[in-house]
Amino acid sequence: MRQLILTACTWVLCTFSSAAETPDIDQIVDTHVLPGYERLVSLAQDLTAAANLDCSLDNDTLRTAYHDAFDAWVSVSHLRFGPSEQSNRAFALAFWPDTRGVTPRTLSAMIAAEDNVLETPDVFATASVAARGFYALEFLLYDPAFADQTTADYRCLLVQAIALDIERNAAAILSDWRTGYADLMRQAGQNETYRSDLEAAQQFFTSLSTGLEFTSDMRLGRPMGTFDRPRPNRAEVRRSGRSLRHVVLSLRATRDLARLLSDGDATLDAAFARSLQLANDLNDPVFAGVSTPQGRFEVEALKQSIDDIRALVATQLGPKLGVAAGFNSLDGD
Amino acid sequence: MPDRRSFLVGLLAIGSFSQATWADVGDPAYVSAARHPSDGYSMLGLAQTGNITFNIPLPGRGHAAAAHPMRPLVVAFARRPGTFAVLIDCRSGMVLAEIQAPPGHHFSGHGLFSADGKLFFTGENDFENAQGKIGVWSLRSDRIRRVDAFSSGGIGPHDLHLMPDRQTIVIANGGIETHPDNGRAKLNISTMRPNLTYLTLDGEIVEQHEPPPEIHKNSIRHLAVRDDGLVAIATQWQGDLTDRPALLATHRRGGSLMFHEMSNDVQRNMRGYAGSIAFSGDGRQIAVTAPRGNMAVITDAHGRCCQTIREPDVCGVAAQGKGFMFTAGTGHAFTIQTGLTPPPTRHDYQWDNHLVPINRS
Repeated sequence: MRQLILTACTWVLCTFSSAAETPDIDQIVDTHVLPGYERLVSLAQDLTAAANLDCSLDNDTLRTAYHDAFDAWVSVSHLRFGPSEQSNRAFALAFWPDTRGVTPRTLSAMIAAEDNVLETPDVFATASVAARGFYALEFLLYDPAFADQTTADYRCLLVQAIALDIERNAAAILSDWRTGYADLMRQAGQNETYRSDLEAAQQFFTSLSTGLEFTSDMRLGRPMGTFDRPRPNRAEVRRSGRSLRHVVLSLRATRDLARLLSDGDATLDAAFARSLQLANDLNDPVFAGVSTPQGRFEVEALKQSIDDIRALVATQLGPKLGVAAGFNSLDGD
Repeated sequence: MPDRRSFLVGLLAIGSFSQATWADVGDPAYVSAARHPSDGYSMLGLAQTGNITFNIPLPGRGHAAAAHPMRPLVVAFARRPGTFAVLIDCRSGMVLAEIQAPPGHHFSGHGLFSADGKLFFTGENDFENAQGKIGVWSLRSDRIRRVDAFSSGGIGPHDLHLMPDRQTIVIANGGIETHPDNGRAKLNISTMRPNLTYLTLDGEIVEQHEPPPEIHKNSIRHLAVRDDGLVAIATQWQGDLTDRPALLATHRRGGSLMFHEMSNDVQRNMRGYAGSIAFSGDGRQIAVTAPRGNMAVITDAHGRCCQTIREPDVCGVAAQGKGFMFTAGTGHAFTIQTGLTPPPTRHDYQWDNHLVPINRS
């Protein structure tokens, strides 16, 4: 009898605790995903409007609109699943890293030929993803080589086409979320895409861990290169001075998701706070300092602090959400 | 890493080695890398029964291995992306030679011996140029040295096998660009183009196939070859997981790549990731493991679905008897013969990704 009671208690405890560990998917969708994409669409509309009004290079309104819309993208850029992956939308918004310099090459070819791909938005949507999105726009707005190469008219049309394409892509992602994907996640357990709340939570867990990995390996790892061969020219969007800003924005966004997934776990949140503090203290907006020992040390400390968050996510949050940590399944090959 | 003296002794030892055969090390049927909870990493020989026949410590986590067709020699690769492999004498456990990737190259973790055992081929990533290479090494005298390298015909080569004609290599070019500055980060998913390439031993490309454009993110990673030249292909999906494309394909030279859809349920449960692939001993079936889905799938040789096996962290698979031998990260090793699943042999070792058969010639 005593054994039976003990078993019953264990069962109740287990059920209770596993229920408590399943995050509130509705809340993540309603406070994290949808507002993020709504903001992106709204600011992308502003960007199109600014480009249409005055596409000259010294137009501060256009540059501000570029920064604001880009900020909104970086803040949702970790949500790489579902609507953002349809028709390569996320890549068309953000083609980076560009290890072979395809973006400037494709833009140059387009400009040299005055390619009529700009005729309609639908035709432009068939152009290479490397010549679309925020990273292509940065070259046109901030790289002097492009200002010199092109006639003002064609450059202007290209800027407007890219802005409108960004807006259309962002709107398509938001529309897919509103008209179906949000419900798939809210009603996890009642559909084949997400067969339980846990599966929906695991999807967000993947977004969190790959978002942190991208920031560590790409946004910081690429400019760091190796000690003997630092690569400051590989810093993300350095021409418009946004490299560190992307790290901060992505940390803020993933911190919000981590809070929602972990039910406000204090240790995890403190790890994010530490990284954000290091990022805010780093007086090096495009990581130019990676070429000096001291500068490199500071960027490395920031990267290490993000890797510390990743370790917490993998070893503490992962098991809570039932993400397997097998010898082979975790290794990848 | 051996010191210089033991390294030289090793080089000398290979001279007195010519008579040694696999029988001298307990006639293992397979080799596999593994981790022991207390003793670190090893390369182990396994008998048909799943029992361990030899155990050689490794300095770090291993990956796949390649077994010499005659002598009891194994090349053990470091976990990818690695720059070194070791040639091990399975009798003494001695490292006969260290095989170092040339500067700017990483080993893919897979390699193969020529049928006469005199040449060794390694899959390599020439990462500064984002080109796949096959390194060629000579084992002709008493040492192993690099003699050549040629293009693998794509980016990110991974697994490679010798075709039954013994004159052709088939290689899985996974299509994914990586660079050591960025860990294992994948740099070109939006534009990746994996392929299956056949080359002569001199590096001449004789045949090449890509997945259709709508599944260009289906990375071709691991291969198995049947005696009649049928190639079975296991892929890893790099796109959105809700797309769930087929992860199994077959190919016969002169034909086109055939992807084999399984039921929505099975493909969903595999989680876009196939770990290893093998033909059954009688050649009538194909097994694909899906460690992220904690399962393996057995189809017929035409990829027609299928029997599924639930097994946590199962990844290694090779032919055994008429059926298969599987290994898992949990330490389990088990066989499946015509639907029967006898209880697994349990080991304290966590079996690593691949169970490599020793194909004696």
